[in-house]
Amino acid sequence: MRTFEYVRPLDVPDALAAHAGDTATAYLAGGTTQLDLMKDGVLEPARLVDITRLPMRGIFTEGTALRVGALTTMEELAADPTVERRLPLVREALLLGASVQLRNMATIGGNLLQRTRCRYFRDPGVAACNKRAPGSGCAAVTGPARMHAILGVSERCIALHASDVAVALVALDAVVHVEGPEGDRSVPLTEFYVEAGTRPEVEHTLGHGELITAVEIPRLPETTRSGYLKVRDRVSYEFALTSAAVALDIENGMIRDARIGLGGVGSKPWRAAAAEEVLRDAPPGPAVFREAAEAAVTGAWTVPGTEFKVELAKRTLVRQLTTVSEVAP
Amino acid sequence: MSTARELPVVGPALDRVDGPAKTAGQARYPSDFDAPGQAHGALVQSTIAAGRITGIDTSAAEAAPGVLAVFTHLNVPPLPRGPMTGLGVSPPAPLRDDRILHHGQHVALVVAETREQATAAARLVRVGYASVEPVLDLDDPRATTVDDPWGLDSERGDVEAGLAASAVRVEATYTTPDNTNNPLGLFSTLAAWDGDRLTVHDATQWPSMVRETLAHVFGVPETSVRVLSPYLGGGFGAGLRAWPHVILAVHAARELRRPVKLVLTRPQMFTSVGHRPKGVQHVRLGASADGRLLAIEHRGRSLLAAEDDDYEPFAAGSAVAYACPNVLTRDQQVRANVPAPVSMRAPAHAQGGFALESAMDELAQALELDPLELRLRNVADVHPALGLPWTSNALRECYAVGAERFGWSRRPARPRSQRDGHWLVGQAMAGVSYPWYQAPSLARATVTADGHAVVGGSGMDIGTGTYTVLTQLSARLLGLPPERVRLELGDSDLPKAPQAGGSGLTGALGSAVHDACTKLLDAFLDLVRDDPASPLRGSAPEDVLAADGGIRRRDDADRSETYDAILARHGRRELSADGSSTPARPAELGMAPAGAFGAHFVEVKVDEDLGLVRVSRLTTVIDGGRILNEKTARSQIIGGAIGGIGMALFEDTITDPVSGRIANATFGDYLVPVHADIPAMDVTFVGEPDRASPLGTKGVGEVGLVGVAAAIANAVHHATGIRVRSLPITLDALL
Repeated sequence: MRTFEYVRPLDVPDALAAHAGDTATAYLAGGTTQLDLMKDGVLEPARLVDITRLPMRGIFTEGTALRVGALTTMEELAADPTVERRLPLVREALLLGASVQLRNMATIGGNLLQRTRCRYFRDPGVAACNKRAPGSGCAAVTGPARMHAILGVSERCIALHASDVAVALVALDAVVHVEGPEGDRSVPLTEFYVEAGTRPEVEHTLGHGELITAVEIPRLPETTRSGYLKVRDRVSYEFALTSAAVALDIENGMIRDARIGLGGVGSKPWRAAAAEEVLRDAPPGPAVFREAAEAAVTGAWTVPGTEFKVELAKRTLVRQLTTVSEVAP
Repeated sequence: MSTARELPVVGPALDRVDGPAKTAGQARYPSDFDAPGQAHGALVQSTIAAGRITGIDTSAAEAAPGVLAVFTHLNVPPLPRGPMTGLGVSPPAPLRDDRILHHGQHVALVVAETREQATAAARLVRVGYASVEPVLDLDDPRATTVDDPWGLDSERGDVEAGLAASAVRVEATYTTPDNTNNPLGLFSTLAAWDGDRLTVHDATQWPSMVRETLAHVFGVPETSVRVLSPYLGGGFGAGLRAWPHVILAVHAARELRRPVKLVLTRPQMFTSVGHRPKGVQHVRLGASADGRLLAIEHRGRSLLAAEDDDYEPFAAGSAVAYACPNVLTRDQQVRANVPAPVSMRAPAHAQGGFALESAMDELAQALELDPLELRLRNVADVHPALGLPWTSNALRECYAVGAERFGWSRRPARPRSQRDGHWLVGQAMAGVSYPWYQAPSLARATVTADGHAVVGGSGMDIGTGTYTVLTQLSARLLGLPPERVRLELGDSDLPKAPQAGGSGLTGALGSAVHDACTKLLDAFLDLVRDDPASPLRGSAPEDVLAADGGIRRRDDADRSETYDAILARHGRRELSADGSSTPARPAELGMAPAGAFGAHFVEVKVDEDLGLVRVSRLTTVIDGGRILNEKTARSQIIGGAIGGIGMALFEDTITDPVSGRIANATFGDYLVPVHADIPAMDVTFVGEPDRASPLGTKGVGEVGLVGVAAAIANAVHHATGIRVRSLPITLDALL
């Protein structure tokens, strides 16, 4: 039987020391991705550093932001009164994700680092996967691709980053706090993820051995309306075909600020900055929403199974812009 | 005596007798069993779909901790293929040779002390392959085809002439994907040899078939083999064959002289125990201007494994669905490098019903006739091929009651004419004529000295209520309270009963139980025939009825005696009787045995921008003949209809077009409906006891599924004006 070492440190310095940047070592939080991948033989760490006892759990107000400990569970964050009142897009994205059982285990830090659900990546019996075995190719591009990405992808890899809440968090300019052997640092979530590009195995800028300790979520102004729309075949327990996290600050019939994240489409949680630019200082309405949607999916790269997602993503965004703009402020 | 005729048409809703054991975790499913000293197996499956094994290196696996043996085609002797069964051929023997016929074919079995050790070692088996391009598609010109595989192709009248004479014609092609049975319980086999005696706990719907197969394959008498399946975590047809992994587990146990337990993984459930095969169907219908069918042509093609068979006559059901003078049905199968298909709940009729009932909706549209009215004008009041009256047929009542309950009269004729916010709303329906099927069965009934009854047969309860309805039936026939009747099922040592499948077990085993209980009463009367101490002395069967734990005269309630009193006085510990049932013969009946009939009425909502489809209402009315237990029967219909919703909107086993690997073999990726996808279900039973069987029952295990996909597709058309002829109906088709 394949064995591994398991350690459970009680504070962050001990965790960093136990990991020590060893390539065969991995952190373990809620385990909802990690353990699946180990059972499937995709990941075979020699040592697991269980971080669930580290003091990194809880939600605190810090000025105009919420500081969310990395070990806070998805359910805990969704139930937070400030999140419910001021960040509906975060709450909705959380509650439309996974199942309640998984949300009670899965942590916010782990959610950001979840691996793609691509069944080509997750089956070691498939030889060609640039993400799992760099340089081996991509068997998914010629396969049934309905659940794959269209933005930030190429023939090297079309794997989707399937998180819902990360889509809301990139739209909000959340910041990731990291501790590592070299000390602390903070990374805006918009700069945390890396497009698949030429090296699909590189998904983010976190160094091996570095630990996400907290996520800082700026609160929206009181006047901002927001929400998350997830489009999928069945009503629950499915990843998004497309989704849209939208926050609009509308004043005197004009959009003062717009924040848009798209899910189900990107190799990373997708911030639609070009669409936000279209909306800013424009009056809300069908024409400008459609124009924003066109801008949001510029550069889409599709295969036959993903072509419909370009139009679906646009309609999803238009629908959610319409819904949010019609919410009473 | 009490007879089946005295039973109500719709029986009382007795709670499941196995419910407490199941909810308390005391009901033991196949994988819950362990044997002392057992070893554990793990399968290695091919990662190519076609070609040959060029070499297998098992050295690392054999050296891994706990490993006892690695079985491959190089060290497993040729095993005979299992025998013909009542449902066709057995699967080919496992590990026959170096040929690979489909992705996920078993190429090795690793056996170790623990399941974890076996699983880890299975990853260490290195298999070399010489791959060739697999045949995966219905249209691959390299594929071999099988015409009329079951001799069910039919022709009456002249379809071309009928079409020529028709005022209105429709013609369309419908496609259905692979679906996977996906019972929740992972299939499991625990095999233990004791000398030449073999005991197997297996996830099977058919213990007697597995016994016969294992006896044949391993060269031992049937009486030496015992197969147990008292509870099963679902099957949907997957448990109707003795699959290669069963044979491998039994072989390994014999070689190692230890019990071996093998539990499939979820991905292995997609390749090892069958699936509903994908297919394409072409339908042509012609009708007179007033909506009388003049022609039905239905041609079906389905995908088949390279060297195995499957019963999947898509088109055959269309020969008897409607009164129509000119009918042609043709079925064909296409051999490919795919895992073996198997009967999945309502095999063939699930797909065939989708095509025919969609085409009927298209015909109604072309005729500008209400789709319900079109069906009513073409009801087959006699069996359309035999010309004989049905043994029962309440299809017209299904339509009438369903229309009333659903509020059909309020439905606007024009598509895309109703809306609820951004949801487009539509209503539609479909009819079902499910075929009759029955197999012979044996059963035994025993009354013991303490006045309890033990009744049973080797048939098993797939989870739908066989324990419960046979308890009710036996209690009623023997005049005992249900709590004094114990059912024994799912054990091949019991009197031979057929499979839980084909909607046939209740009719077959129930009729045999009826016979056994009748004969048991006769045996009690025989016992007291010349007994001066018995108030029943000299009574004939027609003079008595069973009641209050014994027998009493019909003409004098004071002349009665309990079973325990009779047994005690005669010094007997128990009295038993064997019963049997045989399928009705149409020629002798002068009637056509009928299966269940039904009608589904569905409302859907479709998001006009996003294409999302939600089923908002479903009314189903079923003629299932006599319903022994309204509660379990309703659950059967609800379960079937949910399967139909899954087939319509979600279920799609996706095969990679290059490798032949199933790309969504998990419960996260293969979608079945969740609770939130299912509306409140309105299920009603109509009709009367069927005349083909003493019980008057007709199977209700499958009819609930058939036609639901068509009703949903028709409702999507009514909501949107878009006709979707390919399942599942996903939003991409509606954007």
